[in-house]
Amino acid sequence: MDIIPSIDFALWKGMDSKMFIEQIINGLTLGSTYSLIALGYTMVYGILELINFAHSEIYMIGAFLGLVMVSVYKLPFIAALLVSMAGSCLLGITIEKAAYKPLRRANRIAPLISAIGVSIFLQNAVLMLAGPQARPFPTGFNVTNLNLGSLRISSLQLIILLVSIVLMVGLHFLIQRTKLGQAMRATAQDKETAQLMGIKIDQVISFTFAIGSALGGAAGVLVGVYFDSVDPMMGFFPGLKGFVAAVLGGIGSIPGAMLGGLILGLVEMLGAVYMSRYKDAIAFAVLIFILLLKPTGLLGRKVQEKV
Amino acid sequence: MFKPSKFIVILLVFALAAALLSGCSQNQEENASDSSQDAKTEEAIKIGTIGPLTGDVATYGISTKNGVEIAVDQFNENGGIDGRKIVLISEDTRGDQTEAANAASKLVDMDKVAAIVGGVISAETLTGGPIADDAKIVMISSSSTAKGVPEIGDYVFRNCLSDEVQAIQLAEYAVEELGLEKFAIMFTNNDYGLSLKEAFEEKARELAEVVGVETYNDGEKDFRAQLTKLKGANPDALYIAGYYTEAAKIAQQAKDQGLDVKFLGADGFYSPVLVELGGEAVEGAVFTAGFFTDDPSEKAQSFVKAYMEKFNAEPDMFAAQAYDAAMILLTALKNANGVGGEAHQKEMLKIKDFPGITGNTSFTPLGDAVKDIIILKVENGKFAKLR
Amino acid sequence: MNYYFQILTVIMINSILAVSLNLVSGYTGQLSLGHATFMGLGAYAATLFTLKLHLPFLASIILGATVAAFFGFVIGVPTLRLKGDYLAIATLGFGEIMKNILLNLQITGGPMGLRGIPKVTNIYVATAALILVIFSLNRIMNSRVGKSFIAIREDELAAEAMGINTTRFKILAFIIGAFYAGMAGGLYAFLFRYINPKDFGFMKSIEILCMVVLGGMGNTYGAVLGAFIITVLPELLRSVSPVIAQYRMVLYGLLLVIMMIVKPQGIISGSSLSNRIKRKKLLEKGGQ
Repeated sequence: MDIIPSIDFALWKGMDSKMFIEQIINGLTLGSTYSLIALGYTMVYGILELINFAHSEIYMIGAFLGLVMVSVYKLPFIAALLVSMAGSCLLGITIEKAAYKPLRRANRIAPLISAIGVSIFLQNAVLMLAGPQARPFPTGFNVTNLNLGSLRISSLQLIILLVSIVLMVGLHFLIQRTKLGQAMRATAQDKETAQLMGIKIDQVISFTFAIGSALGGAAGVLVGVYFDSVDPMMGFFPGLKGFVAAVLGGIGSIPGAMLGGLILGLVEMLGAVYMSRYKDAIAFAVLIFILLLKPTGLLGRKVQEKV
Repeated sequence: MFKPSKFIVILLVFALAAALLSGCSQNQEENASDSSQDAKTEEAIKIGTIGPLTGDVATYGISTKNGVEIAVDQFNENGGIDGRKIVLISEDTRGDQTEAANAASKLVDMDKVAAIVGGVISAETLTGGPIADDAKIVMISSSSTAKGVPEIGDYVFRNCLSDEVQAIQLAEYAVEELGLEKFAIMFTNNDYGLSLKEAFEEKARELAEVVGVETYNDGEKDFRAQLTKLKGANPDALYIAGYYTEAAKIAQQAKDQGLDVKFLGADGFYSPVLVELGGEAVEGAVFTAGFFTDDPSEKAQSFVKAYMEKFNAEPDMFAAQAYDAAMILLTALKNANGVGGEAHQKEMLKIKDFPGITGNTSFTPLGDAVKDIIILKVENGKFAKLR
Repeated sequence: MNYYFQILTVIMINSILAVSLNLVSGYTGQLSLGHATFMGLGAYAATLFTLKLHLPFLASIILGATVAAFFGFVIGVPTLRLKGDYLAIATLGFGEIMKNILLNLQITGGPMGLRGIPKVTNIYVATAALILVIFSLNRIMNSRVGKSFIAIREDELAAEAMGINTTRFKILAFIIGAFYAGMAGGLYAFLFRYINPKDFGFMKSIEILCMVVLGGMGNTYGAVLGAFIITVLPELLRSVSPVIAQYRMVLYGLLLVIMMIVKPQGIISGSSLSNRIKRKKLLEKGGQ
C-alpha cells in the first residue's frame, strides 16, 4: 500500500510524488549537515563578529579523525564520532588562541585574512600528509534501505538526521539552560557589559570555538559516512554552503542556522533535480533574494546602529 | 595622502625583489648541476616538466613527473643523447593556469630547456603551450585531452587518447558487443566531461537511444537528484563522463536508488581507487583506456618494475602516458642530435608507430597522437582487458 | 628576461585589481568577496569583442571594462543596501552565480573557456595601464567624490547627516572598482591567451583581498605592494629549493597568519589619522 497521498507533485514528466518525497528526504539529510556546519559559523560570529573561514577545514579534519578512529583503531562508529568531536574541539581552541586571539583588537578584516591563512595552511598540510586521494569511510554497520510503502529511505539517512537532531537539541539545552550558555548569550549581546558582570570573556570565546568546532567535526564525520568518502578538499564547498546557510538564517542566530541549513539543503536538491547545471547558482540566488527581502537573514536580529 | 616618495620606495622594492628573484634562480641552476655530478653542465641537455606537484590535483602531476623520470633514467643509463646526460627540471603549477604560464616561461627563459613535457591539466597546456610555441621549443602533453590543445601551435604535441575517439569507440562497442540500447549520460561539467559527452551522445543517438543526460560538478558527492531523474527514464546503461572518484560514488548511489544499469566510462575511470571507493557497485563497469598495469608485454612490465622500484607505487595511466611522451620526445631529440627547436619539431612529426607501452603512436600533422584504445572491464575488483 | 617581464606584467595586472578593490573596500569601506567576478566579466567581454567582432585591442579592453562596470551597477544597486558581512556574502553569491553562468553559456565556451586570444599585453601596456589607473584614482580621491567615499567609510550615519547620498556614492565606488577590475581582466586575457571560468572564482577574489589587506587597507600604494608580494612570493618559493617548494602552499597560509598577527593594519598601514584615533578608542573600549 502506498502511504503517500496521490497528490501530483510532479512538475515534469517522469517524476512522481514518491520520487519527490524521496528528494525532500535527501534534501533534509544534506540540509541537516549544513545546519551543523552553519552553527559553528554562527556561534563564532555571534561572539566575535568573525567569519571563521577555517571552519571548513575543521569539518574536513573532523572527518579524517573519524576515519582514522574507525579504520586504524577499529572504534565503533559512535565512539569514533565522539573522539572526532573532541579532536575538533581542541583544534578549534588552538586555532582561536594562535590565529585570532592576538588579533582581537585589530580591525575587522585582519582576523578574516588570518582565518583564510589558517584554512590554506590546514588544507595543504592535510593534502601533504594524506595525499589528495579520496578514501572510503568504512562504517562497520550494514546500510539497509527501509521501505515505507514504496518509499525508500536509507538507514544511514535516518542515523544522520537523528544524530543531527540530538546534537542540535543538546546545543539548544546548553545555550538556554546552563550557566555557560547564559554567559555565551550575554557575551554575544554585549561584550563589555558581560565582562563587567564578571564573565570571563576568554573562556567564553574558547568554549564557543570548542562547541562550534565539535559540531563541525561531527558534520564532517556524518558526511564522510553518508557519501562513504573523505578527502582533503571536502571542506571547501560544504564550508561555503554552511556559511551561506548561517547568513540565510540570520548570522548570529542559532535557530536561524538550523533553519538556514535545512532550507539550503532542500533548495539545492530541488535545484539539482530541475536544472542541475545551475544548482549552485540557484542556492546563491535564493540567498540573495532572501537578503534583499530581509537584509539580516530570516531570523537575524536587527542590528542597532550606534551613532 | 599620496606622497610621490612612496611610489619611488615601491619601485625600489620591485627592483630589489627582481634582483633577488634572479639571484635565487641562479642558485637553483647551480644546485641542479651539482646534483648531476658526473655530467658537465655545458654538456647536459635539460628537459622540463610542468604540472601540479601540490594542491588537489597533485596526484596527476606527480605521476606524470615520475613517468618522465623513468624515461630520463633509461636514456641516461644507455648513454644519454650522444653521450650527453639529460637533466630533468620539474616545475609545480598547483593546477593553476597562471602558474603554468609562469612555469613555462621560467623553463624556457631561465633554465633554457630543450623541450618540455606538460602540462597535465588542459588549462595548463593552453596557457603554457603558447609560451613554448613562441620560443620554438617542443612541448608534449601527456594528459591534456581538451579540444584545441594540438591547435596551439606547431611546437605543441600531445600523447593521450582523444576524448572523441574514446567515446565513439565505446559507444560502438556497447551497442554491438554488449547489446545495450537505452543510454543515460552523466558528465562532469568541465572540458573533459563535455567533450566525452558530446561525442558519446552523438554516436549513441545514431546507433541506439539516449534517454537522459545529466550533469554534475567535480568534487561533488551527492548525485541522488540526478540519478532519481534518470531512473524515471529507465535506461539500461549509464555512461559516466568523468573521473574515478565521482564515478565510484555515482555507481554506488545509483545502486542505492535501485537504478540497475551497466556502467560505462572513459580513461578517467582508470585507477585502483575506482574499486576502492566504489566496491561492489563498480563491478562489471566497462571503460576505455590507453594502458593497464597487467599488460603482459615485456616493455610494459619492465616499466612497471622500474617504477615500483623507484617510487614504491604502482604506475597509473598518467605515469604510463608521460613515460611514453618522454620516450617519444627524447627519441626525436636524439634524432635531431640533441638540438631542441626546429629540427626537433621536424623529427617529432617523423615519428611513426612508435612502439610505446600505451600502444603504437604516430602524430597527425597538427601534433595529435593517433594510438590504439583498449577496453577494460572491472572483474572481481581488478581490471581485465576486453579488447 | 622574458620570465621577469612576464612576472612583472602579472604584478601590474594584480596591482590594478588590488587598487580597484581597495577603492571599494579600503576607501569606501564596503567589504566585497566577489571582486574577481568583474575581472572575469571584463576578460570575457574583451575577448569576445576581439574574437567575434574583431575590434582592436584597446577598444576591446575599454569596452570590456565598461561591460564590467555595467554589471557593477546591476549588482551594486540591490546589494549595496546591505551592510557589512551581509554585503560581503551577497557579493560572494553574485560571484558564484556569474561563474556558474559563464560555465554554462555557449558563447563563453562553457567549461572549455575561450582560447586563441592574441597576445597583446606586455610589460609596457600593463605598466601604462597601472599608472593610468593610479593617476585617475588619485584625482578621484582628491575630489569631493573621493572625500565622500572616505566619509562613508569613517561614519556612514554622519556622512548621511551631512547630506551625502551614501547609497549613490557606494554604487559609484562599486562601478569605478568594477571598471578597473574589468580592465585588468582584459589585460589578463590578452596576456595568457586563454581564459576559463575557474580563474575568476571565489579563490581569486580572496587572493585580491589578501593583497589589499596585506599591503594596507585604504592605501593605494599599499595595495600595489600587496599585489607585488602575493604574486612574487609563490615564485620565490618555487626558486629557493625543491624541498621547500613542496611546502610552499603550507608556508603561504602560515605567512598570511603571521603577517596579520605582526602587522594587522598591513605593511603600509591604512593612511589616515582617524584610523589611529579609532583604534585608540577601540583599545580603551576593549580593555583587557
